[in-house]
Amino acid sequence: KQKINQSAFSISSSSSSLSHSHSQAKNMTQVTMEEVWKEINLASLHQHRQLNIDHEPMLRNQNPYNSIFQDFLNMPLNQQQPPPSTSSFPLPPPATVLTLNPHSIHTQFEESAKFGCFGKKRSQDSDESRGDRRHKRMIKNRESAARSRARKQECAYTNELELEIAHLQKENARLKKQEEQLKMAEATQHQTKKTLQRSWTAPF
Amino acid sequence: MSHARDPLVVGRVVPDVLELFTRSISLRVTYGQREVTNGLDLRPSQVLNKPRVDIGGEDLRNFYTLVMVDPDVPSPSNPHLREYLHWLVTDIPATTGTNFGNEIVSYESPRPTSGIHRIVLVLFRQLGRQTVYEPGWRQNFNTREFAAIYNLGLPVAAVFFNCQRESGCGGRRS
Repeated sequence: KQKINQSAFSISSSSSSLSHSHSQAKNMTQVTMEEVWKEINLASLHQHRQLNIDHEPMLRNQNPYNSIFQDFLNMPLNQQQPPPSTSSFPLPPPATVLTLNPHSIHTQFEESAKFGCFGKKRSQDSDESRGDRRHKRMIKNRESAARSRARKQECAYTNELELEIAHLQKENARLKKQEEQLKMAEATQHQTKKTLQRSWTAPF
Repeated sequence: MSHARDPLVVGRVVPDVLELFTRSISLRVTYGQREVTNGLDLRPSQVLNKPRVDIGGEDLRNFYTLVMVDPDVPSPSNPHLREYLHWLVTDIPATTGTNFGNEIVSYESPRPTSGIHRIVLVLFRQLGRQTVYEPGWRQNFNTREFAAIYNLGLPVAAVFFNCQRESGCGGRRS
């Protein structure tokens, strides 16, 4: 382990110089760049053999330089030898990790973290707990369905009331009209009755 | 009227938040042009600002307290933070509205992230003008306890609406 750390240090320092020199890339000759790459390749190859290869799931690049570089980036995350049976939850990347490509480190960390969680769930799985969880899920589902039905009914009730109101308003209007008409009819009748009329004329 | 069909009971506001009570004062809550009826579906964008609240009653000497809570926090299937206090206004004179009261806890607009939340507005009659102390925090509020502490008795009116996040699908398909 100690060896890996030291090499990581030495490489990081050289690659940080690489990043610095990146801006000067135009001035540097191609030969120098290749030399630096050679150094990285040799070092990472050396460590690659020591690491458990099973725990590097995402290195399917065709470009050989690229895949080796990825290995190298993976290295600090897998510093500890993980136990062969379960998928390991990697330690947070130590300070020596390169910052050349921080995005890739972060995503790889997330990926392995997800992988680790999945493993945890599996290990807890037994017939009992599975049944339990299903039971809980069923209860929650029932509650949710009950709430949904309740929501439907709430609206339905208010709608019912509104319909009733509309119906009653119509009825009310109709009845009022009827009353008006009756009153008018009565009024005209009353008028005719008020004026004196000859109904019968006496013979004398 | 059968209590079983009361929307407050159907929606489980009674007993989740309140005891069973009889309405005696009118309570009108309006967001913009929309008057809140029980079970109305409103989205956060529609309840950003405090609503207009008009209460009934006859005697201007009576004062009322309005409480607005969300009992379904953080989600209706797991409401372990029940209730969340959104608004608290006291000393509202009868026949007026919240504008004439004392805003103890300022209006915070509902912003549910998970599930469909019931947002309840409750009106209590006060025994007289009284000092109400604002709670230390909004979550884990208990309307029943609050009413007991300040001797508010049973509610005189209540209304609730359903609120879900803006892009919510509206609940289950029928």
